[in-house]
Formats: sequence, C-alpha cells, structure tokens
Amino acid sequence: MAQVKATPKTYDVVVVGSGAGGGVAAHVLTLAGAKVCLLEAGGWYDGAKQSDMFKWPYNAPHRGAGTKEKPFGYFDATLVGGWKVPGEPYTNAAGTEWKWWRARMLGGRTNHYGRISLRMGPYDFKPYSRDGKGFDWPITYDDLAPYYDKAEELIGVFGTKEGMENTPDGRFLPAPAPRGYERVIKMASDKLKIPCIPSRLAILTRSIHGRAACHYCAQCGRACGVNANFNSPGVHIFPAMKTGNLEVRTDAMAREVVVGPDGLARGVSYIDKKTRGEVTVNARIVVLAASCCETARIMLNSRSSRFPNGVGNSSGLVGRYLMDTVGSDVSGYLPILEDLPPRNEDGVGGMHMYMPWWNYQQQKAGKMPFARGYHIEIGGGRGLPGTGDFEGSEQMLGGGYGAEFKRNLRKMYGAGVGFSGRGEMIPNADSYCELDPTRVDQWGIPVLRFHFKWSRDEILQAKHMQDTFKEIITAAGGKYFTSATAENNWGISQGGEIIHEVGAARMGDDPKTSVLNPYCQAWDCRNLFVTDAAPFVSNADKNPTLTITALGWRTSEYIAEQVKKRNLAG
Amino acid sequence: MGDRMPDRNGVSRRDLFQIIGAAPALAAAATGASAAQNHEHAAAAYKRKVFDDHQWRTVEVLCDLILPADEHSGSATQAGVPEFIDDWLDFRKQEDGDDDLAAEILGGLAWLDRETARLFSKTFAAAAPDQQKKILDRIAWPERAAAEDRPWAAFFSRIRDLTADGFYSSKAGIADLPYLGNTAVPEWKGCDPAVWAEIERRMKNGYRGLGGEVKPWNG
Repeated sequence: MAQVKATPKTYDVVVVGSGAGGGVAAHVLTLAGAKVCLLEAGGWYDGAKQSDMFKWPYNAPHRGAGTKEKPFGYFDATLVGGWKVPGEPYTNAAGTEWKWWRARMLGGRTNHYGRISLRMGPYDFKPYSRDGKGFDWPITYDDLAPYYDKAEELIGVFGTKEGMENTPDGRFLPAPAPRGYERVIKMASDKLKIPCIPSRLAILTRSIHGRAACHYCAQCGRACGVNANFNSPGVHIFPAMKTGNLEVRTDAMAREVVVGPDGLARGVSYIDKKTRGEVTVNARIVVLAASCCETARIMLNSRSSRFPNGVGNSSGLVGRYLMDTVGSDVSGYLPILEDLPPRNEDGVGGMHMYMPWWNYQQQKAGKMPFARGYHIEIGGGRGLPGTGDFEGSEQMLGGGYGAEFKRNLRKMYGAGVGFSGRGEMIPNADSYCELDPTRVDQWGIPVLRFHFKWSRDEILQAKHMQDTFKEIITAAGGKYFTSATAENNWGISQGGEIIHEVGAARMGDDPKTSVLNPYCQAWDCRNLFVTDAAPFVSNADKNPTLTITALGWRTSEYIAEQVKKRNLAG
Repeated sequence: MGDRMPDRNGVSRRDLFQIIGAAPALAAAATGASAAQNHEHAAAAYKRKVFDDHQWRTVEVLCDLILPADEHSGSATQAGVPEFIDDWLDFRKQEDGDDDLAAEILGGLAWLDRETARLFSKTFAAAAPDQQKKILDRIAWPERAAAEDRPWAAFFSRIRDLTADGFYSSKAGIADLPYLGNTAVPEWKGCDPAVWAEIERRMKNGYRGLGGEVKPWNG
C-alpha cells in the first residue's frame, strides 16, 4: 500500500533530475566530498550498454519510423519520453500550441540531443543593454568563461579557433574535416559573405578521460556504445558514483520541496513510481535540475504557510518568461551533388560545418528589421536511408517509372540538403507556465498549463532565415523547397518544438524581479538552488546544453564553498 | 586535423574495434534477431493487414513496374516492398488516427482495374505489358495528366513514393545505392579526393543534372 515514509538518513545534497544540469551538480558536488542523493523520474539507462548502434532500420518495425511514443524513431535513445509522456499530461491555455518534450530516463535529454555545444558570447549576457529588449543577465561572459573551459574539458567538444564576434572559441578537440556537400555549401556561403565554419559538437575526436574516440557511424541519437559523445550518465553520473558519494534513485518523481518552519528547505518528497508510495529524502541543500518547466512545476507545487505561492516565488516570477528557440527550415536539391562516386559520408552524428550569426554590426547600426540573431545548421549527404528519404522525386523528374526511374533515384541519392535556422527568442510577458487549477497527472501532482506567443522580432527572424537559405541554395546552383509563407509566419516552429525551453525561474540582481540570485540560489530560500535552464534570463541562438553545464558547474562550486564556510545549514 | 594523438587513458583503437566489430553479431544473438526476422527472407511469413489477395497481386505488379529488376538489384517485390506498403498503410492508420492514406491507395488500385476493364476487358494485374504501360503513361507525369486523370496521377505519385521508400530503405536497396556507412571507420578523412575532383570539374565546366543545369562557378 502507498504510504508516507521518511528515510532517516540526511544527505548533504538532494539533486532532482539527472540530465545536463543534475548530472553536472552531482559530479561536481560528489567530487568535492558531498554525500548526494540524485532523483530521476524515469528508469535506469546506460547508453554504452543499451545503444542500438549499428542496427539497421530494415530490421526495425516500420523501418524505424517515428511514432507518437518515439517521435525521433525506433532507435532513438529516448526510451520513455517525447511530447507526450503516458500518464503525465500538460495543458495549453486557449490560443496556445505549446509542445513540451520530456525524457523520463537516467541522463534525460542528454541521451538524445544533437551535441551542439556553443558558448554564449559577451553580447548574449547583456542583450537589454545592447538593444533595449528583454533583460540583462546578472553575470557577464567573463564570469562564466572559466566554467565553459571546465565543461568543455570534461565533456569533450570539437571545434576550431575562429576569433569571431560574439562567438567565443573554446577548449576544443580537433574538428572533423567537412563532407563533400558541406564544402559545396561553404563555397556558396562564401559567395554571399556568410561565414561557414567547423561546427562545435560534444563528440570525441580523440580519446579523453578513458572514453573512446568517435568511430564516425553518425548515429549519436541512438546513444553511443563506446561513450564517445557527451551524455550525462557516461560522463557525469557513473564517474560520480565511483566516488562512493552518490546514491541514484530512479523512478523517483519529485513532487515537492519540503520546507521547514524556518523557511529553509529540508529535502524533497517524491513518488516512487514502482510502489506509488511517497518518499521524503532529507537533505541540507536542495538542487533542482528537473528541466526548466518541471523545475518551475515543482517550485509552484511546493506550497506552505511560509510560501503560499510556491517556494522561492515571492516575486511571482516562477514560470514566467518561458522561452524556446526560433526555428525555420528550407530543404534544397543540389544537382552538383548528383551521381558522385559512392563513399561512406557518415562522419559524426551531426553537422561538421555551420554558420554562426554574422549581422551583429548591421543590427547595431539599425539596419536589420529584427533584434537578435540565429545560426544555421546544415544537413545532407549519403546518409542512412530511411522512410521519407526517397519521396518527392517528381519535383526533379516530373514523374516516371521503370528502369529509368530507378537509375534516376540512384543518381539523386545524396543531392538533398537541409538548412535549419536556430534563433534567439526575446522573453515576453505572454509566455509562461503556471499550475493548471483542475488537472493532475497519474501521480496526483498538479500539471502545468502553458501560455506562449512569438513576437514580431521572432517572426521577422524566421523570414530572414527563409530568404537566406534560399539564397545559399540558389548560389550553389540548386532548387529550394519550403512551405513557409507570410500566412504561416514564415514556417516558424511551434513553441517547445525545438526543445530548447529555458527561463521560468530567472536569475537576477534584485529579489523583486528575479527568482534566483547571481549564483542561482533562491532569494527566498538560501539552501535551494537551480542548475538546469530555468535560471536563463535570455535564450541566445546558442543551444542551451553547454551553458547549462557551465552555469551548473559554477553554481555547484558556489554550493561547495558555502558549505565549507557554513553559510547554508539551517 | 588529420593527425591522431596516441590514445591516452588506456583505450586503444584496436581494442575498440574488437569490441564494436563484434557488437552487431552479439546484439543479434541477444535479441534473437536473425535472418528469419528480416522479412526480405521471410516474405511467406508476413501476415497482410490491409490488402486482400487481388489487391496484393496488383500491388506486386505495380511496384515492379515502378522499380523493376536491373543490373544493380532485384525488383521491388523481391525486396519486400508490397509487405512494406501493406504494413505502412496499417501503421499510418494507427499513428494518424485516420485511414486516408489507405483509402487513397485502395481507391487508386480500384481505378486501375476499372480503367483496364473498360479499355481492355482485363484486370490491371492480368493485362499485357503494353496495356499496363498505356494506363501508367497517363498518370505517371502529373503535369501532363489530363484533368480527369488528376486523382489517379496523385495516387500514382503516392505509391511511387512509397515504393521508392520501401525499396531504398530495404537491405537490397541500401546495397543498390550503395549506402556504405552505419559502420565503424578507423579514421575520418573528410570528402574523398576523387569525389571532390568530380565536384570541382562540375564547378569549372558547369553540369547538367536531373535537377537542372548548374552554371560554372566563378568564385
């Protein structure tokens, strides 16, 4: 029977969530000597043992196609998760079409993500000062730079030193040489004076820390059987367990931060999914890293006489200023790539080249119709064939069938390319999550209700993406294909679709206008910290995971120092 | 960029390739996956979900007209494409919550028979090759199709795409392309010089491809 039981032991720290933010906190804190209990809402996962590396889609159901349960396909590392999690709904306010991705497994989204690892730049921390929109972070690039160094040296990121504006270089492993189509796209970009440089991905091109180097099978999304890409279990959690200081509890669905009469956190209550019983972990310090929205949900659900609107929420800003990334895509067909000598073009699991934002000076001079920038992600080549890859041939051939059609498909394979813009969203007051007043999930926990709107800046940015991608494809002698129009806001993604949600418990200098202080410590509760993307004040075009890791590292070091100074205990 | 540091921390490339070279075989043994599970070798074992016997025969004939055997590979039916399409129609019904795709395909198959009966007093599958060709030539190029044939041209575009998807994602289709990856590569060297030389030739001289003409690149 379900019953409330308290574990007598008191840990130094309880960490909620085992993804990039929870993983780095567990790693740094256990190495500093803290006794840590890590809670994960999903099951155990070890990609090195459970990866579907080298398997073939023709041996999978429906050739490995995506389903509601596995949107990224049968072999995707996300065993339980997606935009719908069974028994764990969320709701949208009228007029909102938000999608909330969750990964219920050890390591969370780090098992599946694209490994793109871009540092935010100096401008990105002070966007309000630069263009008067949004808000400034309470920290600068220089504050975070040492932690970007540490993060890159631990997780392993390849790249090249470029010295470009607001695109800081890092501690890079050697970058892999570009594929053929990437060299063609770079030459087309050069004509248009759009910079195209080696990408920066958390994939090992050399062995470090006992992890093997990449063997270039391109299927990082299936998890890596030799741990050559960054994932929280293989890089943060398993090494942390070797210290003897880490206890991991899976199937532990955090419900509430338990707060004492003194207003300090006492631990975390969770539902043990296997028994449906409620368990409380006692700890001197609580670190939330459940993912941006889930962290806000736990804070809002942690109501007490001391915190009637949820712990840490005296500002009323928990859940507010939720952001995702702006996305818009164009696909292309480059005849120059047709019928080339067959070669293995796999490479790493992701792009070897990308285009960082290049119009900072034009924006500063007031010459652009929107604020903030985007980077361009590219795809193409003779990749692993799956369903959908051979559709639409009539766009090039006009139709046909028979022996000639078969010959033509063979020639066309490898000539398709794709361009995806990933841009900055400016936080706005219409985009937030709150507790739905009537709905609960199967664990009896009130669920989130979302509100979301793009502003004109994001929509005009999507238009600029479309125009740019068409120009590049045309410059390469190709044809472009897009369904984006003014009527559908230039194909802008749905909120949440790019799976870069950040904000919802932002950090700041002032307790009235922020939830967390400059060390991601709750203003209202000094032994409560957040190490996922909830503290983000803005959402630069740089993908969030590297910044989550660096910021979480900085917060964890601060926690360790404060413990030594005895500033945190109740 | 191409140089390799000796691997530190005790993981040698040789060990790695001994491990991962064996991985697919081990994984197959562990999951019970075998040739019997690969439906290209087990067509007889496939249980149809959508097509009846006559529709099945029609799909086999139609798929092989779309992708016949040639010097590179066998036909669509030999690669299990009818099984793929039957399964895919059922799968989409489950995933999409409607059977619009199945309706479009079954409706198109019905028209093929209706039209072949009207013109040649036969089913499509039983018609002579030149009779089948007469029908398909009306619907295989949508821009040229007569206005009254447009639904059937749309049907044909759909089943042509399904056939191409099913064939080129099969084991036989992957070997035909060929796709040479999904395997461990000891050293990544980037674009092969022979491939790049060909691209550069095209940039210099221009190139007329299936997807249009590429003018010479002048920097």
